[in-house]
Amino acid sequence: MSNKVIEVTNLTKQFKSYKKKPGIKGSIQSFFNREYTTKKAVHDFNLEINKGEIIGLLGPNGAGKTTLMKMFTGIIVPSAGELTINGHRPWERKKDFKKKIALVMGQKSQLWWDIPAMDSFLLLQKFYELSDQEFKTRLDYMAELLGVVDLLHVHVRKLSLGERMKMELMASLLHNPDVIFLDEPTIGLDLVAQENIREFVLDFHKKNGTTIIITSHYMADVQALCKRLVLIFDGTKAYDGPLEKFEKILGNEKTVSFSFSEEIGGCDFIDKYDAKWNECRNHVDIRVPEEELREVSKKILDLYPVIEFNTEKMPIERVMKTLMTNPEVLRQQRENLSS
Amino acid sequence: MKTYLLKWWQTIRISWSKYTAYRLNFFLQVVGPFLVFFFIKYNLWSSIYGEDTGQLIRGYNFDEMMQYHVWTLVISLLGQGYAAMNLSEDIRLGRISSYLIYPFEFWEFHTAGFLSFQILQIFVSSVTLGLAIFFGFLDLPSTMTLLHGFSFTFFMGFFWFTMQYFTGLLAFWLEETWIMRVLLSIVVSFLSGYIFPLELYPEWLVSGLKFTPFPYMSYFPAKIFMGVETNFMMGYAVLAFWMAVFAFVNHLIWKKGMRLYTAAGM
Repeated sequence: MSNKVIEVTNLTKQFKSYKKKPGIKGSIQSFFNREYTTKKAVHDFNLEINKGEIIGLLGPNGAGKTTLMKMFTGIIVPSAGELTINGHRPWERKKDFKKKIALVMGQKSQLWWDIPAMDSFLLLQKFYELSDQEFKTRLDYMAELLGVVDLLHVHVRKLSLGERMKMELMASLLHNPDVIFLDEPTIGLDLVAQENIREFVLDFHKKNGTTIIITSHYMADVQALCKRLVLIFDGTKAYDGPLEKFEKILGNEKTVSFSFSEEIGGCDFIDKYDAKWNECRNHVDIRVPEEELREVSKKILDLYPVIEFNTEKMPIERVMKTLMTNPEVLRQQRENLSS
Repeated sequence: MKTYLLKWWQTIRISWSKYTAYRLNFFLQVVGPFLVFFFIKYNLWSSIYGEDTGQLIRGYNFDEMMQYHVWTLVISLLGQGYAAMNLSEDIRLGRISSYLIYPFEFWEFHTAGFLSFQILQIFVSSVTLGLAIFFGFLDLPSTMTLLHGFSFTFFMGFFWFTMQYFTGLLAFWLEETWIMRVLLSIVVSFLSGYIFPLELYPEWLVSGLKFTPFPYMSYFPAKIFMGVETNFMMGYAVLAFWMAVFAFVNHLIWKKGMRLYTAAGM
């Protein structure tokens, strides 16, 4: 049997919308005579995902991530192309398919607002036809791990955003899906809650070998969870490969920063590495080729009164920022590689 | 089969706890209709009849007029709920995304919600009926009459639900459907005999309405409860016909709407 869980070929989705000029006149005009525009949200998208992978789906707002997620989960129907998930075509919305997937949306609640989360869970137990035993084991495990045992019987509207998100996760994972789609699961959460969610997802993955697709604007999520990244720009795939390779997409230089106990005057040695000094010249960021890192750092430590130094924690953040402000870089990179 | 029925049962239960989540709200919902009835309809008609409560207005003396209106109130409580209101909200706010993922369909969820609402309304309408009897507006009819009346009203409730479902589904195109629903409910109130008994309307209008669902939504069942109407078949047949029409149209609209749906706001 094939190990592929998700297979996408030339997937395309177009949206038709109409333009409306401002004001009452515009409203009337657009009522009688609508000018339609077609927007390609996703265009000729190809992807293969193996069982048990965790994939980070990244891209700026409006790049087509959510549209992809909606097609993956069968919420919307693709305009063209092929898409199978676990052998199913999502948009046929077969019950067998629905029982195997889960979608968690950070921006949208699936729980019922006016009742405790436990009531929603019990409903989902029936929806997914889980035995009492399965239900209890999984619920206990997740509630314990997320630290929300005491909150199960509190009305959802009284929970904090972080607590609610944990409940949302539990609700989506009760039926032990084969494929999980996490659409910005940590959006708006504080750092501790973000970390809790990440640890939980990792633990769940380790225990069940689930395939996970995650979108997020927080690079910490990606760093902690994903080995493989898929980058989407303007509806097309811009990068697909391992995280480490992505980090080095702009070259294999490392960013290192040094703080000094006193002002450092002109210094050719440091300036040579694309140095960015602060106003008082007691802090500098430099970019050093990976192979020179040890040597250069040692020299600076020896020669100057360094009080603190660190290497960049999340190079991926810088790469993303550069690519988002200047997507051209990526095209050039690819051309360089292919030539 | 059993697991499928369990899905329905649990949905009915959860809708029930949603409806009763707010105690004060629920209390007002139970006693509110009777209070509104008392202040509006009772006062209106007692000032119309004035001192002479024995005079006949289109065949109704004051007591009969009050009986008629108590029954139309009970009928509207029991058969004209607002369970389908959440439906258009769900569409408009993109919440159907969640239902599309669950292995339980959107219509199943909302129909279960409707059933749950009906069960709740049995209680609400009994309170209203009890209050009306307590204050001497009417005597309890025979068990047989009650049985006929309630069965017909329940049947009408299903029709009302399919029609409400229709207006709810229009949210795929209209984005705001409340104005549609308000218009519909005003039209229904007038044409069904909820506001005035149909005897007060011109002959041509009443006979024209016979094949529409309207008179069977208030006037007809009220007459059953009052023991006047005994030919139920006509009512069942007309409502069944319209129910089938709306169910079919709903099915088509849903299919077309789904193609259009882009899960806005998800």
